[in-house]
Formats: sequence, C-alpha cells, structure tokens
Amino acid sequence: MRHFSEVYALMRRKNKQQYALLAGCCFFSVLLITAYVCMMRAPTILNVLPEGGDSRKQIMMIFALAVLGCAVFTTYASGLFFRQKSRETGVFLALGASRSQVRRELYRELGVISLGSCAAGAALGGPLAWGLWQVFRLCVVDTEEMRLVFNPAAYVWSLAFSAFVIVMMFLLGSRSVKRTNIIDIVQESHTSEPIRDVPRWYGPVGIGLLALGGFLGYMSSFFFIGILHWYPPEGLTGIFYLPALMGLYMILLHTVVNGWNGKKKLYKDLIATSQMRFQGRQTVRNMLVMTLLIAGAYFGSFYTPMLGTGSMIEYDTRPVDYVYNFRADQDIPLEEEVRALAEEYGVTVTDFAAVPMIRLAVDGDHHIEEEGPMGTTWRAEYEEVMSTELFLSASGYEALTGERVDLAPGELRGVVDVEGSKLGFAPDKSLVTNYLTGEQIPVTSLEPLRYDSLFGRYVMNDADFAALSAGLPEEWRETQVCFNVENCEETYDFAKALFNEIVDRSTLDVAQFSGWDPVIRDRYLAEEGVYFLDRENCAEYGFTVIDYAQRDSSAFRMSWQYMPAFRILDRMDFVKTMAVFLILFVFVAVVCFSAVFVIAYTRCMTIALTNRKVYDDLRHLGASDAWLRRSVRGQVKRVFLVPALAGTSLIYAFYVMIMYFNGSPAGITPSEAAGLLAALAVVAAVSALIYGVYRLTLARVCQALGLERSGRLPGGPALPK
Amino acid sequence: MLTVENLRKSYQVGKTSYEVLKGVSLQVGKGEFVAVMGPSGSGKTTLLNCISCYIPADSGSIRLGKTELARLNGDALAEVRNKQLGFVFQDFLLLDGLTVRQNILLPAIIGGIVSDMTEQRADQLCEVFGIAAIRDKYPAEISGGEKQRTAVARALINHPLLILADEPTGNLDSKSTRAVIRSFEQAKSALEATIFMVTHDSYAASFCDRVVILRDGVVWRTLEKGNTERETFQDELLDAIREMGRSDN
Repeated sequence: MRHFSEVYALMRRKNKQQYALLAGCCFFSVLLITAYVCMMRAPTILNVLPEGGDSRKQIMMIFALAVLGCAVFTTYASGLFFRQKSRETGVFLALGASRSQVRRELYRELGVISLGSCAAGAALGGPLAWGLWQVFRLCVVDTEEMRLVFNPAAYVWSLAFSAFVIVMMFLLGSRSVKRTNIIDIVQESHTSEPIRDVPRWYGPVGIGLLALGGFLGYMSSFFFIGILHWYPPEGLTGIFYLPALMGLYMILLHTVVNGWNGKKKLYKDLIATSQMRFQGRQTVRNMLVMTLLIAGAYFGSFYTPMLGTGSMIEYDTRPVDYVYNFRADQDIPLEEEVRALAEEYGVTVTDFAAVPMIRLAVDGDHHIEEEGPMGTTWRAEYEEVMSTELFLSASGYEALTGERVDLAPGELRGVVDVEGSKLGFAPDKSLVTNYLTGEQIPVTSLEPLRYDSLFGRYVMNDADFAALSAGLPEEWRETQVCFNVENCEETYDFAKALFNEIVDRSTLDVAQFSGWDPVIRDRYLAEEGVYFLDRENCAEYGFTVIDYAQRDSSAFRMSWQYMPAFRILDRMDFVKTMAVFLILFVFVAVVCFSAVFVIAYTRCMTIALTNRKVYDDLRHLGASDAWLRRSVRGQVKRVFLVPALAGTSLIYAFYVMIMYFNGSPAGITPSEAAGLLAALAVVAAVSALIYGVYRLTLARVCQALGLERSGRLPGGPALPK
Repeated sequence: MLTVENLRKSYQVGKTSYEVLKGVSLQVGKGEFVAVMGPSGSGKTTLLNCISCYIPADSGSIRLGKTELARLNGDALAEVRNKQLGFVFQDFLLLDGLTVRQNILLPAIIGGIVSDMTEQRADQLCEVFGIAAIRDKYPAEISGGEKQRTAVARALINHPLLILADEPTGNLDSKSTRAVIRSFEQAKSALEATIFMVTHDSYAASFCDRVVILRDGVVWRTLEKGNTERETFQDELLDAIREMGRSDN
C-alpha cells in the first residue's frame, strides 16, 4: 500500500456499511422520485386527474412533500456519512495531508457513489413504477385503462432531482473537509447546537396555534369566496396554515427541550432530555419534516379506506338495485327488453318502474366574476333562468319510490340523500320555466324529500308537470327507470350486460360530461362563443372526453352524464373504477413513509455517534448497560414517537374537520364516520409498522454504542434514585 | 531546533476574550526530550496546538529549524506537519481499517514518499518498539500500550525534526505507560528524535531532560534533569507543583 487512494480503498472496505447506507439512500430517493414522477406524469394518470382539479393538486402537493422528504433524508444521510468520516479526515489532516489532497480523494469517491446510485435509481425508477403497476393489474384489476404509458419528460424531474443529490453531496463533502477541525478530532471534542431556553407555555400554545392554523387555513377560502366574494390568489390561503406550522414547531421544541413529563420525572429522563437538548436544532428540524411527511403519507393512506368505506356504504344503502335515466330520443332498453335480458341471465326483475322526467329551467343566483384592482371578485345576480334541472311529477315519484307526496300546484320539493346532505344541490327554487316555450310557474320550495337514488331531482305537482311539459321536444324529456332484482349479489353479469346495452345504444348526442347544461351552454355561447363542456371542447378545458369505448374507465364512469347506478356493478367494479387513484395514493404513502423511516433512522444513528463519548463516560461512572439502553430508548423513542403522534393526530383531526365541514348541513354522516373508523384501522396498521422500525433502529443504535442486549429490555431495571 | 518566542494566543467566548498564552518563550534543542506541565487552563495544550500548526497564534514566533511557521499558508503547514513533525495523541488516532504496519506507513503515504526503504523503515520501527509480532493486526485487536507504541512508530516514519506528544500516557495503565516512555527513550537514543511532550503525569515527565512548567499562560519555571536520578527528579517536579499550588493560595 503506497498511495493515498489505496488508504481510501481500505477505509471504504472497513466502512462499507456507511458507504452502502449513503449509496442506498441516494439510490432509494432517486428511485422513489423517478417512480413517482413516471407514474404522476403518465398519461394514464393524467387522464383521470383533471387539470386544476383537487385530486391533481393533492397529488402535486404530496409530490412536493415527497421531494422534500427525499431531499431531506438524502441530505441527512450525507451528513451522517461525513460525520462518520470526519475522524478519518481529521487524522489525515493531523498527519499532514492537505485539505485539497483529502478533497480530491473524497470527490473521487463521491463521484462514484453519487453518479452510480443516482443513475441506478433513475434507471430502475421507471421499471419499478411499471412493475408495481403490473403487480397491481395482476392482483387487483386489469383494464384497458390501466395500461401504463410513460411520458419520457418525466425523466427531466428525475434528472433534476439526481442533479440536486449530486450537487448536495459534493457541497456537503467540500464543506465537511473545509470545516473538519483537527482540534475537534485530536481532542475528541464536539460542538453542540443548543437551543435557547424554551418556556413551558410553548407546548400548550403550540397546540392552540396548530388547531387555529388548521381551522383558519381550511376555512379561509370559504371566508374569502363565500363572504368577501373574492377569489384569493393562488397560495394566499396557504398562508393561513402558517400558524399550524409555527404551532407544530413550538410543540416539537417544547418536546425536545422541556419534555411533557414536567418536573416530576426530571431526573428519570435527565440524560435523554439533556442530550437531545444539545442537538436540538437539527433534531427539531428533522422531527418537523417527519411530522409533515407522516401527515402526507396518511393523507394518501386514508384515501382508500375513506373512499372505499363511504362508497360501499352508499352502495349498500341505496334503496333501489338498478337506477338509470336516459333522454327520450335515445333507444334505451325499457321494461320488456330489460326483463328479456334478465331472463337470459336467470335474473328475476321486481318492482320495475319507468316514469317520465322533464328538463326545466330554474331560477338562481348567477355568479358573475369581475376583474378589478384586487383581482377576481364575484357578485351574485339573480337570474330567472339560471340553469336546468330534471323534474318528476308527484305521481311519478310515487311510482318510483312507493312514497306518496302531496303537492299543491306551485309547490316543489327537491330530493336530497337519506342523510339529508344537500352538497352540490340547492333544493330551494322559486321559479320554474319551460325554456323552449317560456311558460313559467312561480313555486314554493318545501322541505326536501330524502331518497338516495333520486338525489338532485325535483318533484312537482302533476298538473304543473303536465303544463310545463307541453312543447318540450324529446331532447328535453327523459325517462327515469328504477327496478329491483332478486338475489342482487348474483346479478353482476346481467348488470354488466345491461350497462353495455345502454352504452352501446346511446348516441354521441348524449356523450356528455356530467354537468352539461343546455341553458348554461346558451349563455356561454352568447357571451364567450364557446361552452367548455361541449364534447369537442372538453379536452381543451381539462375535462374528460366521454368515449364509449372507455366505458370501464374511472374517467368514464365518474363523468358520464347518463352513467347508470347499478348496485352490484358499482360494488364489484369499485376497485377497477378507482384503481388509478388507489395505486397512486398507495404509492404516495409508500414514498412518504419510506422517507420518514430513513430520516428517523439516520437521525437516531447521528444521536448515537454524537453521544458515544457521553455513554462511555456514563459507563465509567457506573451506569449499567440496561440503564444506558433506557436512556438511548428515551431519545430514539422521542424521534419516532413525537412526529408519529403529531403527524397522525394532525392529519386525522384535519380529516375529521374536512368531513365535518364539507357536508351541507355541516356534520359527520354515518358513511363518513365509518370511513374515519376504517382510517383508524390504517393508523393502527401503520403504527405497528412504525413500531417495528423503531425497535429495529433502537437495536442498531444500541449496537453502535456497544450496548448489547443482555436479556433485559431497555426499560427493564429500576433507575438509580 | 524549536524556538518559541513571546507567543500569545487568546480565545473569544461570546463577548469575552480569554488570553491563554501571555508571551511564552522556550527552546528545544536537537535530540532533547522536553515535557511541558502545568495545571488545567495553564495553556499547555494551546501551546502544543500552536506548535502543531493546528491553530494560529495571535502574535509571537514559532521557528522549526529555519522555518518560521507563522508565515506559512495552509498547504505549506500541512507539508510541515507531514515531513517535519511527528504526532502522538492521547487517543492514539489510529485508523481502524488499517493494520499496525499500514498505520505506521500512513504519514509517508500521505506525503507520497513510500518506497522500499520506507517499508523497511516501518518494519525496523516495529522491531525497535516491540510491535513486530502484531504488525498485521488491526487496532481493535491490540492493547492500549501497543496502540501508543504504534503511534510513536508512526510519528517517526518520516524522520521528523520534532515529535509532538499530547498526553501520550493519559489513557494508559502504568505498565503501558512505562512501555510508551521506553519507546520515547528508544526513539531519542536510537533514532536521535527530538520530543516535545505535554503531560500531567510527573512519572512520565521525570524521564525528560527538561520540564517546562506553565502557569496562567507564561513559563513559571524550567527544571533541568541533568544527572539527577529519575526518582529524585520526579520528587523535584512534585515539589515544584506543590509550591505552585501554595503560591496560588
């Protein structure tokens, strides 16, 4: 061995675990980001995440969080690597190596590690995303829509992240050589990073700010748009979440510096608390990122149980097995054909009812947006003819539901769901108009009816219905069909066949995005010359183009104006319909939790390395290994437990708040409550996983400190009094 | 060999400045074995760090041979550390991934001057310091005394003008301490090494030719061993330290 590079090679061999950890972290972060981006930018995904829609915003937000998490854990892994390497660097410098000489060797190593691991991560990210997708297709659902197509542009993100990783590693490496203080190495001294005294009120005030920030952030858009009639610029409402972030930081500071046990247990936790206090700044930053990542991961994890439970309950509580409606100019199967088809599949149809509906214009407030010095504001202007709705006669409603409704002329009742939710529906109207003849009837809106399968319809007096029907062409008339079947659970094939029949026989005239409205269309055409929901404009404005060939896709099933609601079909095809969302959110959760685990692990190992001498001193003072392990556990537990508790409660409370406020009227519906319970089950499962990683990390930290297990648990023996 | 003149060094802690060295002057001649003693805070470690080129002095002069260290830049100081100084640390600072022999060769490797002769010298040093049998072992496999003897051999590999030892026996038991001191004596007699050692240990210091006692950042007293017996010299050292303690009170 005659060359300096050979010394480095030997040190690499000796410390191969440290190199493997660094390379693994770089590889893992680039792999996750590449896989995420490949998936997120895939046309398959983008097709179901409408431009500007909430889902896409959520995915982007969580992606930003995942990038932050991966960036943080790669940075900390690098920091840990250089910290471990600092002794070696210090010895070289002490023995006469120049900093440029050390830097040269280090750069050579970093070049190989960073380029190699990033290249491997980037190269395998795509295949990983593809592989996961295929596993999902194989095990869960396989539809034409699920064919994953990658957009090569996704690799730009991957390259950008890899460039960040490489530059960051070189900068940290250079800084580490520059800052390595020979005195620190020679005298085994370490600089600490103490936090100034933190008053004990930080904890409770932090909790208050956290709750306040969450509430203000969520409600600010309602306040601006609903009360001030002002559309705030992008990002402004985000500012209202800042108190929550401040509160979180205060809570973590209080936890690290003071702890929550009060003075009673001061001596019990003395070592753990004191040591954490002197690495406070970085520890708190770590915990903050971990908390946000855990919250983001749960946000992704909750999506599936919330949606799944809510949907399943909704399917189960539907009062009718089969519901569909169609425009009168369409040749869609009616009773005779339905019964014939049912017979083919051995299905017995019961309670068949088909009643006419008409499309009428209703009055309402038109939101007129205006550009001004403050940005976009809106004002409501009452319009006698605002939009259209579908109307049933009272006798028609009775025929469909069996419920008799007595309505005098001029009386109107909207239909809401069985839980009384009016979300997205305004049942109170005062004027109904035949848009084509101009015939108008002033109406009085009564208490809404409750019937899930007819949500959004209006029921009026038979005479009014007849009067307003006059002069309406087929395009403005519809038929509402409801029927039940015997042994509904066994009628999937029939349901599928009927669905296909309906789709096959629908013409392109009704290939409309849900929400397409002829009155609104006329207004848009008159004012702007184009209507964004017209089929030919949907793609341009970011809406799904209804394509009958894609009838099994989530985009089609969630967006078609005339999508039938067949209980068995919806239930059995739920996973298929929501597959894209499910896998995307599961993937998000995997990325975020992985980042959390790596950050927690590296932080705990840093604590172990930094405190090695303290533990040696304590051992010399007579502390038993069991007592020392307990002290280690005090720190490791805090790194894991605090972010886990804070992140979990934060997102769970946020979810509860969303569920509470997103209904009309505000409140938690039984299906939302069931969804929240299912989310709790996810919390339990993930908490078990976090606990597993915590135990593993604790064991590794104890091992690094030479505190091998001697049959007793870290918390086993009593503390010295 | 080593001339220190009117050396001053202060540290800034917050808004307060602490002057640790208040004008230290001393000389070490070629082949001399000199110890520096003094109570905690007297400035002995700071003096060693300044001579080691680890920290710059505020003023004064440190000359090693004909080289004025204060005038050198970072790379030149590294060159001095590598070629003209040898280091022995309290915590040995051996690299765990290298064998005893490789650790001994490390300064030569860093200096880019490893030849067959250098390797022979490493083997020779192993023989001199009684570590030939363990030369292929790793630091984790040898005792504290053996580690420190390895460190002494490492300090000598590049034929330095001066060996700087910082509490070399601080982490050792009495048997290992004797072995390390013996290795310094061997380095001095067989290899004509010049040794400058900072220590708290009067036993270790009693082997030196001269002991400089620092107090409050200045040289308080210098004791020459001359022909005095080691045990007597150690008693003199202890008396001097006791006297310093009394005058403090």
